[in-house]
Amino acid sequence: MSALPGIASIAAMALYAAFFLHAESQAQVLGLVALAVVGVPVLARVGWIARTATSLEAHPLAARSASVAALAATIALFHDQHFVMLMLASVALYSVACLGLTLQFGYAGVVNFAGAAFLGVGGYTSAVLGPHVPHALVLLIGGLLAALVGSILILPILRTRGHYAALITVAFGILFRSFVEVNDALGGPQGLQVKGMNLFGWELNSPLRDLSFYANYVFVGLALAAAAFVLVRRLERSWVGLNLDAVRLDETAAAVFGIDVARWKILAFTCGNFFTGIAGAAYAMMTGFVAPNSFTFGDSLILVSIVLLGGLGSAWGVPLAAGIVLIVPEKLQALQEYRFLLYAMLVIVILLARPQGLIARPAREYFPK
Amino acid sequence: MHNCVPRVFWAAALAAALALDAGAAKQTVKIAYIGPLTGGVSANGIGGRNSADLAVRLRNADPKARYRYELVSLDDECKPNIAVQAATKAASDNSVVAGVTHYCSVAAIAAVDTYHKFGFPAVVWGAVLPDITYRNNYAEVHRVNGTMINQNDVAAKFMTGLKYKRWVIIHDTTDYGKGHDKYFTEYLTKYGGQVLGRFGVTADQQDFTAELTKAKELKPEVIYFGGLTPIGVRIRSQMERLGIDAVFEGTSGIKSDSYIDGLGKLAEGSLSFIEGAPWEKLPGGLYFIGKYAQQKYDQGPEAYGPFAFTAAGLIMDVIEQVGPNRRKVIEELRKTRDRDSIVGKISFDDHGQNVVPLITKYVVQDGKWVVWEDSEYASGRRKLK
Amino acid sequence: MDVGLFGQYVANGLMLGVIYAMVAVGFTLFFGVLDVIKFSHGDVLTAGAFAGLATYGGLQALGFASPAVQLLIMLLVAVAAMAFLGALIAKYLVLPLRTAPPLNTLLLTLMLGAALRECVRLFYPQGANPKPFPRLLPQDAVALGSFMLRLDNALLLLGGLAAIAAVHFVITRTKLGLAIRAVAQDAETARIMGIDFERVVLLTFALGSGLAALAGIMNGLYYSEINFSIGLLLGVIGFSAAVVGGLGNIYGAILGGFLFAGLQTAGAVLLPALLPQLPSAYKDVFAFAAVIAFMAWRPTGLIAEKTAERV
Repeated sequence: MSALPGIASIAAMALYAAFFLHAESQAQVLGLVALAVVGVPVLARVGWIARTATSLEAHPLAARSASVAALAATIALFHDQHFVMLMLASVALYSVACLGLTLQFGYAGVVNFAGAAFLGVGGYTSAVLGPHVPHALVLLIGGLLAALVGSILILPILRTRGHYAALITVAFGILFRSFVEVNDALGGPQGLQVKGMNLFGWELNSPLRDLSFYANYVFVGLALAAAAFVLVRRLERSWVGLNLDAVRLDETAAAVFGIDVARWKILAFTCGNFFTGIAGAAYAMMTGFVAPNSFTFGDSLILVSIVLLGGLGSAWGVPLAAGIVLIVPEKLQALQEYRFLLYAMLVIVILLARPQGLIARPAREYFPK
Repeated sequence: MHNCVPRVFWAAALAAALALDAGAAKQTVKIAYIGPLTGGVSANGIGGRNSADLAVRLRNADPKARYRYELVSLDDECKPNIAVQAATKAASDNSVVAGVTHYCSVAAIAAVDTYHKFGFPAVVWGAVLPDITYRNNYAEVHRVNGTMINQNDVAAKFMTGLKYKRWVIIHDTTDYGKGHDKYFTEYLTKYGGQVLGRFGVTADQQDFTAELTKAKELKPEVIYFGGLTPIGVRIRSQMERLGIDAVFEGTSGIKSDSYIDGLGKLAEGSLSFIEGAPWEKLPGGLYFIGKYAQQKYDQGPEAYGPFAFTAAGLIMDVIEQVGPNRRKVIEELRKTRDRDSIVGKISFDDHGQNVVPLITKYVVQDGKWVVWEDSEYASGRRKLK
Repeated sequence: MDVGLFGQYVANGLMLGVIYAMVAVGFTLFFGVLDVIKFSHGDVLTAGAFAGLATYGGLQALGFASPAVQLLIMLLVAVAAMAFLGALIAKYLVLPLRTAPPLNTLLLTLMLGAALRECVRLFYPQGANPKPFPRLLPQDAVALGSFMLRLDNALLLLGGLAAIAAVHFVITRTKLGLAIRAVAQDAETARIMGIDFERVVLLTFALGSGLAALAGIMNGLYYSEINFSIGLLLGVIGFSAAVVGGLGNIYGAILGGFLFAGLQTAGAVLLPALLPQLPSAYKDVFAFAAVIAFMAWRPTGLIAEKTAERV
């Protein structure tokens, strides 16, 4: 199998993304959405998508290089457009958070409907510590605090399963939002201002040459996303991932074979929240503001939809789905008050057409060829 | 021009569009509108959008205008992060000269930094939090509507003047409601009123019977409500269900047609205080209402529609004067003094805040918001409670 | 606190509890037959309330003036329309996803709920604004001390209880109920026994959604006002009540509904009394913290699902 179909597909996707990011008017955006809705099933029909997948699977190095090249080309194309850079940076940071959720949902089978709350813990950490502590440390503390706050939930989550565990995180998400809203020490409903990021003397809010200053955040976001991606993929392929899979697929069987179910669930839940916390801290520094309104149950659901649309447990699916979930509604601004309706219907169509997600996680090969 | 590939593509489409536009003799100038177009308070956002749109249409119909205007509307969902996105989108697009921005305080306060960063002139049309103009001194940020401080000063003075003494405060836990609670309490204490109890409620709460039963126990004369129309309607209607016989005093947030539509007869005797002149009575206001009706929008302008109309008009006036240049627009906007508008005279102070001397008091009478002084309540023919 | 006020709190709590229970019963029914959470349930309720309101408008225009007739026709139209909608959702959106991870159904129905809500907001005339709901029940009231005994409240309470009892009757005493319980217990075996699986699922969804429409109209009659977002919170609360009660169990759902209402009322009343310096807005923080603590204590809800741990 040659690497060509994979590379061609990545190039085509990058081209499509470039046009989509550039589209302004209602007709352009709707035309491109329609093209994807019609085009992708046709490509699937003629077997192109399957060929792409096998090709990418067979040539991981080519796949990665092509993705990096496509990304670099997109950044070069839009380097001075603040809005596009802001969206790309958001996609990168949301990918970090959703890779964390992938550890929880996708590998260990621990549901988490409070993703926005952990983003919020990170965000408020930046707001409070930002002026006093070096920012690289703030990111780390944001992650650690999110993990720490998450540990409150460990006991109830270990005792419950499925929808019962889901309810605990739903309740926690709503609780967190109410708490920061009524608590005046953290700015109350009005929220807090956050200082722009400064990494070892590099002021991210001041632009490099003719690049948008958001491009700096794109670089930081991509670095974090790449690190998270590599880490998650390594975990998945290691014996840790194997244990997590066993826990998800059948707790009883896993326990019978001597796997400490509680330990792995705690590990996945805590690591996932750590990722989300870091992403939240960085995101808050980029937007310069945190307020309870950004961390509602609805925002948690955005994170969940990214994970599910991408394909449960699929690390490759996360950035793709994050792009769709974050950029499509923004681009539908041209539709004004109708945009959310169209977006909801679009997600329904995708879910019906691809019930396993956009890029389904391939079955683990226990005996590599 | 590094991104010439898509540019070429769209240029062709643009050329086609321009060819269709016969009246393309005038230069087109874009201005942005940002407000909540989806979600719980979208009625206000859509009302504001329509009003700004009306201002643009009227200007384009005017043959004397130097430019042709185009309104770019964006949705901020009443959320800070989305507001920053929308603000970045508008402000980073150099073809957009200025913006009529934000109904929700939390969205506005998050976005002002972005306007400052990009040097983008913004005129706030609905958000009432004082900090939006006063926390920083950003030359870019202006506001045509007043803050909640003046509103509550007048409200507290007026109500204590009517010899009411005992209040229960219900406010939503957003910055809007909390701010109103803070300033109203401050002024009420100053004028000698007493707060028996206060309840914070969430903006999506549906049932208030528990809070209201508790309030009933305290036997207040007046229930002060700091929040927006949807909850206002629910609280007023549940007060009746529990048999609470108190005056319902709202803030600018309930002064909307939908408050009366949502309550029917129950709305009678509700009070509201809003910044600006009573525009329904002024010639400019009547003109606005008439023109608005002609456009057949499917939503009314709501309470802050006239402010969005005024903000858009003000921006276009300035652009007519100094041309579509952001820096000059900011300089000129700052100089606004005693400019006539449908909401009264507009003068910006050194923070870009319109120093509105006037707060208008309204009461619902026979299914209409009536200026207090003209009402039968003021003349003594009807009694509040 | 005097007795009248206490009675008032109890009456408020009961009314809330009935509405929550009706929503929770829907969640638990759907979970029973398909093991899925249908999150659009709250928005079906909204759609039902608006369908009722639209019917009322139509009847007014046609000149039917009798409140009893109006209410009856409104109920019929709304319940029938939502039952049909529920079956449609089951057939075209929920059943096709049976092979996908169960979370996907959850996401799909969430999106569907959002779409329904947006449709009401955008396409119902002036749908973004709160709408007054007609008062079709007799408004007589007796003031017993500080307690307002209202005839319409009492009727609504009885109506809600009757509706729940009727659903209970259908589930436990009819052939359809037997089929529903059979499918809930073991879909495969039920099929082998000759039960038309798809038909039972569709009917269950119709039943639950019809009940939601009824709850929507009751909600409108009780608060005299409806708006496009009533379903949002009722959906979350109904789901929570069903889970707290124990999913798949109709008694659990009813108990959960009343428990939730009690918790909310008590939170709003007792919190300021116990901790006067704390703003009353903390009540939600406490309510949800209580839910988390409760779940840690009883991980499968009040009435546990009967499952045999397969070995």
